[in-house]
Amino acid sequence: MKNSEVLQKEVKSNTSALTSRRDFFKKTAIYSAGALSAASVLTPVSAKADDPAIINEAPWGQKLGDPVDKNLYGIPSPYEHNNIRRTHELFSSGDTHASVSMCPIHESEGIITPNGLFFVRDHGGTAHVNPNEWRLMIHGKVKKEIVLTLEDLKKYPSETRTYFIECPANGSPEWRGPQFNSLQFMKGLMSAAQWTGVMLKTILEDLGLEKDAVWMLAEGSDNASNPRSIPVDKAMDDIMVVWGQNGEALRPEQGYPVRLVVPGWEGNLNTKWLRRLEFSDKPWHSKEETSKYTMLQKSGKAIRYFWVNEVNSVITSPCPEKPWKHLKKGEMVEIEGLAWSGHGTIKGVDISFDGGDNWVEAKLKGLVLPKSWTRFSYIVKWDGKPLILASRSYDDFGNIQPTIDEETSAVGVESVYHRNAIVTWEITSKGECNNVQIRKHKKA
Amino acid sequence: MFKLENIKKLKSTLLSVGLSTLLASSAMAASKESSVDGAVKYPTKDGKYSSYHVNTQDIKGYNIGRTPTKNEIKAWDIDVRPDGTGLPEFEMNRGQVVLGDDGKPKKAEGSVEWGGELYDAQCVMCHGDFGAGGKGGYPRLAGGSVNSLKHQRLNPADAHPNPESPLRTVGSYWPYASTLYWYIQDSMPYPNSKSLSNSETYAITAYLLSVNGIKFEGEEIDDEFVLDKEKMMKIKMPNVDGFYPEVDTKDPKEGVKNMTALLSDPKIYGTGTKCMKDCIKEDTEKLLMKIQYDLTASANQSISVERSLPKVEKAESVKPGQATYEANCLVCHGNPVIGAPVLGDKEAWAAVLEKGIEKVYHNGINGINGMPPKGGNMDLTDEQMKEVIDYMINSSK
Repeated sequence: MKNSEVLQKEVKSNTSALTSRRDFFKKTAIYSAGALSAASVLTPVSAKADDPAIINEAPWGQKLGDPVDKNLYGIPSPYEHNNIRRTHELFSSGDTHASVSMCPIHESEGIITPNGLFFVRDHGGTAHVNPNEWRLMIHGKVKKEIVLTLEDLKKYPSETRTYFIECPANGSPEWRGPQFNSLQFMKGLMSAAQWTGVMLKTILEDLGLEKDAVWMLAEGSDNASNPRSIPVDKAMDDIMVVWGQNGEALRPEQGYPVRLVVPGWEGNLNTKWLRRLEFSDKPWHSKEETSKYTMLQKSGKAIRYFWVNEVNSVITSPCPEKPWKHLKKGEMVEIEGLAWSGHGTIKGVDISFDGGDNWVEAKLKGLVLPKSWTRFSYIVKWDGKPLILASRSYDDFGNIQPTIDEETSAVGVESVYHRNAIVTWEITSKGECNNVQIRKHKKA
Repeated sequence: MFKLENIKKLKSTLLSVGLSTLLASSAMAASKESSVDGAVKYPTKDGKYSSYHVNTQDIKGYNIGRTPTKNEIKAWDIDVRPDGTGLPEFEMNRGQVVLGDDGKPKKAEGSVEWGGELYDAQCVMCHGDFGAGGKGGYPRLAGGSVNSLKHQRLNPADAHPNPESPLRTVGSYWPYASTLYWYIQDSMPYPNSKSLSNSETYAITAYLLSVNGIKFEGEEIDDEFVLDKEKMMKIKMPNVDGFYPEVDTKDPKEGVKNMTALLSDPKIYGTGTKCMKDCIKEDTEKLLMKIQYDLTASANQSISVERSLPKVEKAESVKPGQATYEANCLVCHGNPVIGAPVLGDKEAWAAVLEKGIEKVYHNGINGINGMPPKGGNMDLTDEQMKEVIDYMINSSK
């Protein structure tokens, strides 16, 4: 905040200097002090008039900037103050200690989320762990039980990999119809990062597992502990014990100093503030894998565990927060979005302009990695007519993103979790973008 | 606009997607090794894991860390399983058995009646009377029935949408009583977890089983019922058979295989079709479902993508008592639904103050109505309590 205070002062003091100089310029428009304010330099001026953002010397072009030692840990430009996580009471169990904050994916660039914007799901508040007193205990059906300090853990060889983490409740309020006219609240229960840590396999192979060590319990050291059962097969495949996130230590909200990353699987299994891994021949049936994170079906019975986040995608531009209101008829525009799958790697994404009746293939962009956010793109010329945009992804496992009808006919509407149905945006002739669904009616 | 430039390419993609679906669903284990979730498994080949290069040096014997002591394991290993593993027979304290007056290990047990008292002191403010609560969004603990789980609210576009939803509570949904004991001991009471003794945990568990109408040996649990390890293992929850697939198998690997089979079969959880043309076959306009009431409007932070400078707020210094309030009191005194006077509510605090400040201090320290002594935070000193009460009063003038 201090930074923005200074900037605002600077803008003010430079405004008076500029107003006195403006007499030298051709008077093509009436400049008020407001027109010279920070907001207006960002908006394009009408045709023919000289753009004051070019004609006038900008305040930052004539004065000294900040000394390099001003922010020894850098912070975003104060103009970016709306690029923040957001919360809603609907997603709280009582208060904001057991709640979620949604990642502003409508402002996300590329396939990495900045650490300060990574979505947060806590069950008992964000714990602040003293790294010097942090311990990891590995016990049960292992040949050698151990306790590790943070220093010990970092002696193992490290790996760095890019994975998304998604809460399986992402999009959960929309099983019965659209509810949020916002991409952030629709799909912001996920983020992606480059994680650094040791492969759990490396530690377990070194310790040796008993023959009947089939299940692992991962537990946090926070108020809620959040214990979960995970099959050893996954631990021996790609689970990481992670201390680094996007080139620095994990943030407290992400489990500082150490968390599990369980690639592609439910966010809830990616235990934060990790303190204990126990091995056994049976699963534990903790509260988060019985009362929650189970999928109630039409039969009245529930799918017990559902680990993987299935193939999914969403168009991020346009979206309700970033509509096409600025677009002129006949202008070219890029439709861009994110696709991801916990089952493997994204193979392709299709785009529809008529709510899913007809589809064309979009192009994938940039790095295409397993269990990672993947960017897709399709460039169109918008003729100003209303559209219903939708995206449909498919992965190398062979799954195709279902329509909401295809999904609900399989699992009903009371599953809460794992809603990966196709997302549709209505584009009006004014360029507004609204969250809608295409659903077939059932006659009584 | 809808140029289908890659029809040929599409056809071949369609074919390969169809093929791989077939492979994935029918012959998973046959040629290609799959992951435990049935998904694609990327082996490390030629020093590369998919696009990542990895160090494949064959290293053994890191010899990092040390062996934990028995007490250390006991202090942290408090998990409880449906088969009774981990259920304590005796009172324990940080891994050590607690001795009774007679010098023998103290039995861990608790009655429904005692559990009710503990519940009313430490749980009722969030979970409501007899677990029927759910005040301010806190979970409801009792009610519903296994039968209610079959209720599916239908698509609201249907002719007769079913407005009733399944009621998932401890009694109607939870498959095992062990989970209840473990969760209460490990994560409750919410603002002060891991603070209940084994006996207290048995008592609250017994109380919650009783308000849910759970039976013991065919009979309703009454106030005098005393729960201990032996009895816990005989409790059968009504929805114990409500989950699939089976994972507690004789051969432990069988259970994992059951999971892999489920997760490998997209028919179970819904998959799409790679249709490219005329897929809907109905008037799309008529199928359009719009938002009735946009919940975005009630978000805690309004949505904006504007890039103008924010209003400068005065930096507020932390007041005495504020940190204590935020850590210990906010859960109740920050939520109007709970019924406790909320910070900033002038009228409510003026009414409280009519009793005189000394009485307010006294009530805060000793408890009043739904509030247990010191709000359940027994580690707060009387001075800290007075400080935080002053903070709440001064912030509510």
